[in-house]
Amino acid sequence: MQSLDIISVNLWQMLVSLINLLLLFLIVKKFLYNPVKKMLKSRQDAIQSDYDDAEAAKAQAEADRQAYEEKLSSAKAEADSIIRSAVGIAGQREKEILQEANAKADGIVRQAEAEAVLERKKAEDAVRKEIVEVSSLLTEKVLEREVTAEDHRQFIDSFIESIGDDDDGN
Amino acid sequence: MQTNRKFRLVDTIYLVMMVLPIVAGIVLNVLTKPVSEGVSITGARIFFTIPMPLQDLPVTEAQINSALVMITLLFFCLYLTHGLTEKCERKRQHLAELIVEKVDALVTENMGDYFIGFAPFIIAVIALSAFSSLLSLCGLFPPTSDINVVGGWAVLVFGLITYYKLKCGPLNYLKGFTEPVAVLTPINIVSELATPVSMAFRHYGNVLSGSVISVLLATALSGLSSLLLSWLPGFLADIPLFQIGIPAVLSIYFDIFSGCLQAFIFAMLTMVYVGGGFDLDLYKQRKARKAQKIKTNSMEE
Repeated sequence: MQSLDIISVNLWQMLVSLINLLLLFLIVKKFLYNPVKKMLKSRQDAIQSDYDDAEAAKAQAEADRQAYEEKLSSAKAEADSIIRSAVGIAGQREKEILQEANAKADGIVRQAEAEAVLERKKAEDAVRKEIVEVSSLLTEKVLEREVTAEDHRQFIDSFIESIGDDDDGN
Repeated sequence: MQTNRKFRLVDTIYLVMMVLPIVAGIVLNVLTKPVSEGVSITGARIFFTIPMPLQDLPVTEAQINSALVMITLLFFCLYLTHGLTEKCERKRQHLAELIVEKVDALVTENMGDYFIGFAPFIIAVIALSAFSSLLSLCGLFPPTSDINVVGGWAVLVFGLITYYKLKCGPLNYLKGFTEPVAVLTPINIVSELATPVSMAFRHYGNVLSGSVISVLLATALSGLSSLLLSWLPGFLADIPLFQIGIPAVLSIYFDIFSGCLQAFIFAMLTMVYVGGGFDLDLYKQRKARKAQKIKTNSMEE
């Protein structure tokens, strides 16, 4: 079998090998490079979409948190206002009760005073009667005669009046 | 991950088709290789010759073997990308991604983003060159030790270099020859033409010299062992003492290391020459000028 020389330039052989390289370039591009690139791209997209989802979820969570915080603080304020109003109502009520109680107490004291005055008058009347009787008895004994009731009364009354005046003058 | 029967069947077909060309090449080699005595260093054997104008086309071992390598690579690519998923469920996908991403990075680093489309071409150059050189591990004729094969690639690269230089403006291209001084024009032309020649000869020479040195060393080692052991009686004299192990060590350098290194160098030179001959700023300026011209033309109309 024939062999080529160690160095033997043949244009057609060169052309064939040139075409071979171009062909292999197309093969590699179609069957290795492009599929892998496509896969890498789709992986990149998938990762990107995952990141986007995570970002969106994070933003959502942040918004939720803020909303909850707002709600919480508004609830606090509401509770504060409720307590304040309750305290206000209670204070008012307290005042009312106190006033009522004071009024009642005043009433009781006034009644008691009125009763005391009445009692005193009664007692005064009773004492006056007693004194009248005692003095009429005494005068009867002293004069030894019957004083007419009319005279007597006048006399005693003037007497007591003078005493009462003296008392009042004190 | 679905690995049903159909998937496995396709996988098996791809794997078989990857190995089959190499086996066929070995069988062809065994059947057609003439029994030779002594040392013989020749080029590729010619199977038959196709008459062509200008020069006949001899179909040689180099042609057949590079075709076999291409079939292997085709099915290797198909195997690697079979069942790609976004979640990278198969080991082969790691390799496929590694190849694509490394070559992408290499191209971007050496040529710039504009040339990212060159990545598959660089993969093809490295794969074809490396696997062609590695064919010598199977005892086959490595196509890269044929000047015509590597020469074809170098011519293609030269075409690409010239195309991208012309893309920046033919006048710029011609002006580039007169720099730095007009006197140097002939030398510039020679150096321009020397680029593909040097690329082809570098690659081809390295691979061929590897096989030549291997053959010479194998012969020398067999001579050495017969010299030492020839006084022994009977079959003991035929023990290939020095042929055990030593050629394997040499083969690691000349077949594997040198072959892969030359493939890488060829690809690097391709990137450097094509990327270096192209001035992106100049190209953009020219494009803008052209667009401006078309605009003014249409306005005049």
